[in-house]
Amino acid sequence: MSSPPIPVSAAEGPFDPSVRWFQHAVFYEVLIRGFYDANNDGTGDLKGLREKLDYIEWLGIDCIWMLPFYPSPFRDGGYDISDFFNVHPDYGSIGDLVAFLEDAHRRGIRVIADLVMNHTSDQHPWFIESRSSRDNAKADWYVWNDDDQRWPDARVVFTDVERSNWTWDDTRQQYYWHRFYHHQPDLNYDNPEVADTMIDLVRFWLDLGFDGFRLDAVPYLYQRDGTSGEHLPETHAFIKRIRKQLEADYPGRILLAEANGWPSDVADYFGDADECHLCFHFPLMPRIFMAVRREQRYPITEILAQTPAIADSCQWAIFLRNHDELTLEQVTDEDRDYMIAEYAKDPRMKRHMGIGRRLAPLLDNDRRMTELLYALLLSLPGSPVIYYGDELMMGDNMYLGDRDSVRTPMQWSPDRNGGFSQADFAQLYLPPLMDPVYGFSAVNVEAQLRNQGSFLHWLRRMLNERRLLPVMGVGEMEVLPCANPSVLAYMRSGEVADIMASVPASTPVSAVHDMWEKRDWGRNSVMARTVPAGNEGAGDDAVRRHQAVLCVHNLSRFAQPAELSLAKWAGATPYEVLGRVPFPVVSEEPYAITLPPYGFLWFDLVSEDRTAPA
Amino acid sequence: MTPERERAIRRLVESWLAQRSAPTAVNASPPDITVLRADLIRPGRPALLDVVARIDGRSAHLVMGLRGVGDETHFIRPGDEGGLGLLDDEGGLSVCVDALRDAELAALLLATVRGVEHRPGPVASIRDDDDVAVLDLGDRGDLVVFPWLTDRPRPAVDMLVALEAAGFNHVAAPLVRWTWEGMDLGVIQEPLADRSGGWALALASLRDYYASGEAPEKAGADFGPEAHALGTMTARMHLALDRAFPRHPQPVAEWVDEAAAAVNRVDPGVLAAPGVADLLEGLRQADVRLPAIRTHGDFHLGRTSRTDQGWVVSDCIPGGVVPGEQEPGERSPLADVADLLWSMHQASVAAAQERDPAGRLDLAEQGQAWENRNRRALLSGYLNTPGIAGLTGPDRDIIRNLLALFELARSVRTD
Repeated sequence: MSSPPIPVSAAEGPFDPSVRWFQHAVFYEVLIRGFYDANNDGTGDLKGLREKLDYIEWLGIDCIWMLPFYPSPFRDGGYDISDFFNVHPDYGSIGDLVAFLEDAHRRGIRVIADLVMNHTSDQHPWFIESRSSRDNAKADWYVWNDDDQRWPDARVVFTDVERSNWTWDDTRQQYYWHRFYHHQPDLNYDNPEVADTMIDLVRFWLDLGFDGFRLDAVPYLYQRDGTSGEHLPETHAFIKRIRKQLEADYPGRILLAEANGWPSDVADYFGDADECHLCFHFPLMPRIFMAVRREQRYPITEILAQTPAIADSCQWAIFLRNHDELTLEQVTDEDRDYMIAEYAKDPRMKRHMGIGRRLAPLLDNDRRMTELLYALLLSLPGSPVIYYGDELMMGDNMYLGDRDSVRTPMQWSPDRNGGFSQADFAQLYLPPLMDPVYGFSAVNVEAQLRNQGSFLHWLRRMLNERRLLPVMGVGEMEVLPCANPSVLAYMRSGEVADIMASVPASTPVSAVHDMWEKRDWGRNSVMARTVPAGNEGAGDDAVRRHQAVLCVHNLSRFAQPAELSLAKWAGATPYEVLGRVPFPVVSEEPYAITLPPYGFLWFDLVSEDRTAPA
Repeated sequence: MTPERERAIRRLVESWLAQRSAPTAVNASPPDITVLRADLIRPGRPALLDVVARIDGRSAHLVMGLRGVGDETHFIRPGDEGGLGLLDDEGGLSVCVDALRDAELAALLLATVRGVEHRPGPVASIRDDDDVAVLDLGDRGDLVVFPWLTDRPRPAVDMLVALEAAGFNHVAAPLVRWTWEGMDLGVIQEPLADRSGGWALALASLRDYYASGEAPEKAGADFGPEAHALGTMTARMHLALDRAFPRHPQPVAEWVDEAAAAVNRVDPGVLAAPGVADLLEGLRQADVRLPAIRTHGDFHLGRTSRTDQGWVVSDCIPGGVVPGEQEPGERSPLADVADLLWSMHQASVAAAQERDPAGRLDLAEQGQAWENRNRRALLSGYLNTPGIAGLTGPDRDIIRNLLALFELARSVRTD
């Protein structure tokens, strides 16, 4: 599928724990159950995922985020875990997992696991024991109460299916606390045994080779009277405890917080750079959709203006879609109504507090609009997270229950079951899409690999280009004034380091991995990769320089003009990133750009001396 | 000032006058000019000479930039290529240009008036008419200069200062009030980050809407949520003005008489249109008194901007076409709202003409639908703002009829 990478540096093989890889990485969210079924039992598995590492590597992914793979009765897509220390038998064994991790690491791909710390399944042995009496060994491992009136300020998350955070248990004759479904009882972190066990859990998986965790539902770990039970100091203290373990024994591993809240609240999960390395930026995502529908930049620039600065060692994780609904918790009532009217025209598309659709159907399968949204995702501050299948513009099935609408099998080919599995159709965990627009016969990896003009190839090129532009991940961001409200222009800039790799004189150019830009700096070497300054590995041959990337996006379906004040960069030559075409040199005068409908342009501003503007 | 110097400056003022499109400038007889002030506010080269001159009974204000002969000028707009003339002073011979038309000199002027270090950068002209010149100097601020002075402090600047003092944060705050002898020469306002004009936003919405052929709420670039937010901001402006200035209850009938008289002066036929007599009579019979407050006075989409902090009042200076001396007195805040509603109509007409210059597509009905949606949204935002009922009264029928009355009066104005 791709030519082998040329050797670069010693740091490239085993991961260098000193670098902040997560700040310029591209994450890929994978539902193991839906990715590839290697043993043909109708359910995706670890061997299947391992078999598809070629594809993930080819695409240019830096880190795989594995959705829960633990034993589970699957009443909530695996987020209802019945054994934290094992692998669901449908997915394989712990041995399969280790083999997968080793193979991923050999390819330079890191892997993080979803860690559901807040609750278990009601089928978990801990809960079964806990509910059996009031005086068993696990009696206090969950949150029990004699009435259901405590903590009235804690909101119900799934308001459409749960009426209360308390559920009565007939056996124990008490209510138990759950912030999500009633079959997902919350663990009691005030019990030191529970907290210690969860630390053991973290160590267990890190010892097996995981590169970190996505912490699920992290704001809800503790409960306190008179509070909403979210973002409590005790919760932050526990995350600090986990981070301390990582720093001490697992350097280079990361924590990614799922905390759906306002940026100023969520930023607390970075702590003083002593909690999570990354936090999802939830409010940004719906506003990207809002901006493109309203054809003006303000929904985006408003939320960016309200996003606090974070420590140099932290990073936002940003996304367009994921395995959950397009959540509208962090928008006003008016905006929620607007989004539902615009994007969920059929009531069946609504899920909980949001919209259960994939990216392509949300955008009416419009290629230009999809490219525009990816251009934003890849250039706004943060590390992008791509949901499996969205790289194909896969569709969804709104007739499936809960969030299964967006969890259908990956479409690999036009063959049986979309190439996902050789099992009988009726055996599949969910039916693959078969409609004429999004069905596997029309949308699949095989077809798109053969078509150089496909969205898949386009996205891969974008990921490769972004790799050369680390400022997209960690650079400063400056929104540029523009009188045209449909145009969103910003500058990403900062110090970067080109890591050079020696190439034997006999090496043909064709052997150079096609994702690397060949650039001879007069040192008989090629630029193997570019990283943010300070992220060079020990022993890397690095050349530092200033990088400034101008990103201009047209949110309108009509062509739009833009005049930008670029005087600060006067004298620089803008090179269009995808084609490396030089544009007229920037001067003191306003810089005029014309953008096609839903068009975008990224320019690498190259000045002769490669220094930062005054 | 020596007689020779005054003569030289008079000639430059005359040249400045000729470059402007004001009625005075096209007067056939030579203007009577007396130089009242010619202060070198920035020495050296380029220098800035602040001039106030009496021209045919009016006080003109201009800032001349004095450049060394051969120095390059940086005119902001194409066509502004002419200088004002030459001036020989203690610094030697210099070429004089209108500082507000030269990007480098405008930035120097802003730095001088603000008392900060000069920083070069882009300059854009936002407005340049007989009432005011407004320059956008990016993160350095907005430079507002009045070419014609009033003998007393300008109500528009008073309003700006009062809004800021009243805690109204939807306005570019005044950083410097530039005065001389009790007269306002200009203002420097804080920069508005990431702004687009309200008019541009409405046109973007209308372009999409006319092209889509769908209902306004289903077309792209729906303006409804923006109109709602704009209504809320307008209400907050009025509440702030009410806190900052005195209010006086007035009989609604007086407003009816004033509006009817204004309409009658311009187009008496309008008063005979169906429904107008009933509207006027109904309001007269209502027999209510409502607060008259200090309002913006010339509030339309072009006076507003959208920023990443929400909607703002970006321009408090009335006029533009009609002379700015006609400062509004106290009036119902609903008159400002009617101005905004009227400008939505103007926007829908302008976008329709843009799309269909020959009028073959008959977009009037479509335009009406867009207006209806956004009028409703704007009024919903305005009337649902807590506290606004204290200014508009609680009776929705009277509010609706007053808006119709004020919009009727606005519609016959020629500006």
